[in-house]
Amino acid sequence: MKIKICHMYHDLLDLYGDRGNILTLVARCQWRGIEAEVCRKSIGEEVDFSEVDILFIGGGSDREQNILVEDLLRRKDNLTAAIEQGLVVLLICGGYQLLGKYYQTGTGTQIPGLGVLDVYTVAGAERLIGNVIVELGPELSSSEIIGRSGLSSLVGFENHSGRTYLGAGLVPLGRATTGNGNNGQDRGEGVRYRNVFGTYLHGPLLPKNPHFADLLLQLALERRGYEAKLSALEDQLELRAHQAVVERFHMKQF
Amino acid sequence: MKRTWRFWIALWASKLTGFALKLLGKKATTFPGVLAQRIHPEILRDLGANYGEGIIIVTGTNGKTTTSNLLAGILQTAGKEVAFNQAGANMLSGITGALIANTTWTGSTNAQMALLEVDEATVPKLCRQLTPRLAVVTNFFRDQLDRYGELDTTVRLVKQALPAATTLILNADDPLVAQFGINGSKVRYYGVERTPESRTDSSETREARFCPACGQVLEYSLYHYGQLGLFNCSSCGFSRPLPDSLAEHIHLEEGKIVFRVGVSTFELGMTGFFNLYNALAALAAARELGVGDQDSISGLRQFVPQAGRMERFVLGSGSLTLALVKNPTGFNQIISTMLGQTQHIDILIAINDLAADGRDISWLWDADFERLGQADARVGRVICSGLRAEDMALRLKYAGVAEDKILLEKSLEQAVELLEACRQQGAAFVLPTYTALFPTRDILAVRSQSRTEQEEGRS
Repeated sequence: MKIKICHMYHDLLDLYGDRGNILTLVARCQWRGIEAEVCRKSIGEEVDFSEVDILFIGGGSDREQNILVEDLLRRKDNLTAAIEQGLVVLLICGGYQLLGKYYQTGTGTQIPGLGVLDVYTVAGAERLIGNVIVELGPELSSSEIIGRSGLSSLVGFENHSGRTYLGAGLVPLGRATTGNGNNGQDRGEGVRYRNVFGTYLHGPLLPKNPHFADLLLQLALERRGYEAKLSALEDQLELRAHQAVVERFHMKQF
Repeated sequence: MKRTWRFWIALWASKLTGFALKLLGKKATTFPGVLAQRIHPEILRDLGANYGEGIIIVTGTNGKTTTSNLLAGILQTAGKEVAFNQAGANMLSGITGALIANTTWTGSTNAQMALLEVDEATVPKLCRQLTPRLAVVTNFFRDQLDRYGELDTTVRLVKQALPAATTLILNADDPLVAQFGINGSKVRYYGVERTPESRTDSSETREARFCPACGQVLEYSLYHYGQLGLFNCSSCGFSRPLPDSLAEHIHLEEGKIVFRVGVSTFELGMTGFFNLYNALAALAAARELGVGDQDSISGLRQFVPQAGRMERFVLGSGSLTLALVKNPTGFNQIISTMLGQTQHIDILIAINDLAADGRDISWLWDADFERLGQADARVGRVICSGLRAEDMALRLKYAGVAEDKILLEKSLEQAVELLEACRQQGAAFVLPTYTALFPTRDILAVRSQSRTEQEEGRS
């Protein structure tokens, strides 16, 4: 068994400790005796997404996001096909926005995205910054991997000026009970489409949300035909870090 | 300059409150400065006009405090009276308070120049009222993204704010800083030829992968640390400028750095190559102010590091080094310094996430703790403390530090006790973020002292 993780634009989109997400996926494979291979690809470098198990795209500054839109559009057909076949994708912040339909800047210009996700983003005047706690929606919390962890939330930190709105057919990952989430209005945070997960949570996301990291690994293995459930790991430190955020920042619901 | 009634009311009200707070035994706060600004929002303009030899500001991500202190030491050696803001008081209210404290009730000052450490985000506000004679820019690294937003924005705002009449003292080795000098006429650069740690490749998380002038990929013939090094852009020709003050023949001796600039040899009683840059920045500024190298040599040699910057204490079975940590590049430098000695090391890391620390602690994942994981045999215990102790512990677990070496103790007091109890022969390091620094320092000072007293009692 081998998991191939592709970190796209590692050199451009690495603003918020994104390598922590990759470290977590790799470590959680290795602790289970699963081989993990990480490839880092950037502008102009060939990738065949049908051969990738987990694709990760993180966040960067606006300038860097603009540089790579063109490169991403060139890969559209290959990436779309892989996603429709169940490729597991984790998109954080900039990556999340780039795979949507467009990003509308403060002056009204629309920068096209890949359009894989039926979401669009509009620049906001104020940055949304702070700790976030997301209560997972029914679809995710009913998953066996998530359920057995005893956790029903995602915790992380957001820092974005874009407000992202989901198309009619899409549901968010959950409800932001602390913090803003997608747009600071409807309390939704993130999105799931097939095995593509978009979110504004960095922090980084996966170390403190081991159940979510395992869900990505499980989905990647299932796509390759392995049906066996991932073995459970000793997650005391992970759970303590998760709970510490919940206890400290949990506020009354709006 | 004509002073209005507002100036006098602001000055006196502020001085009176400062005086009253002192009588009440309160430590210095920013309140007098805040009050003065409320009454007279442009008071800095009036206060700044007092300094015949001008205003010098020091800004950038890392090294502001040390550079300011080094420069103050050199200027004092050269016989200058300097008005100075204390570390941490580097926002508008703190700077206002410091200048008011240096101004008499009749509105004059004894100082010839003012030396101000200025928070990056405060530079635009300050420069609306004051035109500095010199601005020293140290470096730009990701730091407190929750407060400043993206690094590009911070850099751009500082660059736009600095007046054309100000002479810039720039770090030539940092492309984000060196770009301030493109098309500039009043610019002096400082830089480093090569350090024993310089490499031809880099695995560190770096800023400025792209040319700040044209956006193409920057090439490096040598990396010093972070994005600092010998860079050039093959597309537009922007390259590392030739430093006016260039450090050569750099070597480390026990607890100090020795280097040459031109024909002079300098000696600095601190470790860490980042401190070499701080010394160079101070030296370059002093030269521009007409201070001779002899004064700089003695100013640097006599320098005693300030609170929590590689400060030494005694705890348990040996000495201990206290060093502030606040961003990945700074932390990487501390890790290099810790592993640079051959001793066994025990470590206490205290991570807080209050406003002054930066509320976002994702930066812990950009620092290279894997190097501690790889040096497993030499690392004893790593005690994690502070409001984000759990996050730090988790980071170490994923960096490959054995879980039984990672101890969680949220109380600073008890964490220090634990370090004292479990430390082995060798070196110990205590690494707090900003808001954990002073409480930790107080605890260490008491423990260091009580131990010395016990020993004296015994003898």
